[in-house]
Amino acid sequence: MTENLLTWVKDIFLIIISLSFFQILLPDSSLEKYIKFIFSLVILDVILEPVIRIVTKA
Amino acid sequence: MDYEKILKEQMENVVKPGQEDIISDEASRITEGLTDGFTLDKILEATLDGKSIFNSQELIDGFKSLVIYEVRSAMVLGVEILIICIVTGLLKNLSSSFGKKSVSDISMLVCTMIIIGISINSFRLAYDIAIDSVTTMVNTMEILTPVLLGILISTGSIASGTIMSPVMIGTVTGTGIILKKIILPAMFAACVLALINCLTEKDYVNKLSKLLRNAAVGVTGLLMALLSGIISVQGLITDASDGLLINTAKYSLSTFIPIVGGFTADTAELFIKCMSTIKNIVGVFGIITLILVILVPLIKLLIIAVIYKITAAAAEPICESKISDSLNDMGSCIVSLGAVMFFTSLLFIIFIGVIVGMGGG
Repeated sequence: MTENLLTWVKDIFLIIISLSFFQILLPDSSLEKYIKFIFSLVILDVILEPVIRIVTKA
Repeated sequence: MDYEKILKEQMENVVKPGQEDIISDEASRITEGLTDGFTLDKILEATLDGKSIFNSQELIDGFKSLVIYEVRSAMVLGVEILIICIVTGLLKNLSSSFGKKSVSDISMLVCTMIIIGISINSFRLAYDIAIDSVTTMVNTMEILTPVLLGILISTGSIASGTIMSPVMIGTVTGTGIILKKIILPAMFAACVLALINCLTEKDYVNKLSKLLRNAAVGVTGLLMALLSGIISVQGLITDASDGLLINTAKYSLSTFIPIVGGFTADTAELFIKCMSTIKNIVGVFGIITLILVILVPLIKLLIIAVIYKITAAAAEPICESKISDSLNDMGSCIVSLGAVMFFTSLLFIIFIGVIVGMGGG
């Protein structure tokens, strides 16, 4: 339980840090806002990971 | 009648010296020597002489040096964070002269990560203090509860003792495990999430962090309300049935046994009164230990939390609002940590209070 919680938080931490680095490195283009949206989707996926695991297990 | 001698003898019979030493050593380590003035012997003597058990001068001096020391070490932390905030403010203003936007962005990111590093380190300290204090409280309760329940049974409260003992020991151990395995880690997670928030332009995990924090405090509050309610109500009922039993026994002793019956009943009552005095002394010792074990870490945590809040207020004009918001949230997380510890100690103090209040005919 404790380990799962801490790995989950670590995942969120790492994904947000790496994605914010990538966002800075992105070249200025018209696709930028779509890429940002996709990044948000990835973060959403990581945040919902415990829920997904519980639902698929049952 | 030499009641002092009887009390002291009985005290040695019910409380083994080793048990008290374990509690005192651990409590003294946590409170940095503040609990040394409160041992069972001293409380017993104060009870017999009718004196105050608190040496106020000693206590005030101890607390004063503790607060000054903690404020100083927390101030260093606040100043460190503030300096980095000033640097980020400067970087933001200089960003136009760097030419490219990404250079200043990355330097901002690095500065923010330094702030996060410092804050997580100090939160780790606060977390360790909280875990330590909860562990000590649970250990104290695990040692004291069997002793108190044993004394309770010897005052004649058989039903109370037998019903309370599994409920209470199970509750204490269970509370300790839930706190250490679920609630405090959730608090840690909430704090980390609050800190990540200052890295990004958009809020990604702000609400999640608040949710985790509020859920942790809520679950602790619920646990406390439920368990203390069960224990108090159960205590009332068993206490009434025990009182019935003891009074019947006393009445039949004095009525149905000719001549010596009255003396026998009086002796029985004296014995019960003696045992309840011992129970009160052990209970008072437990409550004082619990209060000091919670008070000292709580003061430390609250000082750190206040320093964070002050730093957040001071950093607001010079750096981005995100960073000061995160520092503010961090302060709230530490306050919540303190609240969880406070609830736990309140629960345990209620337990001891219920046992002390029970019995005695």
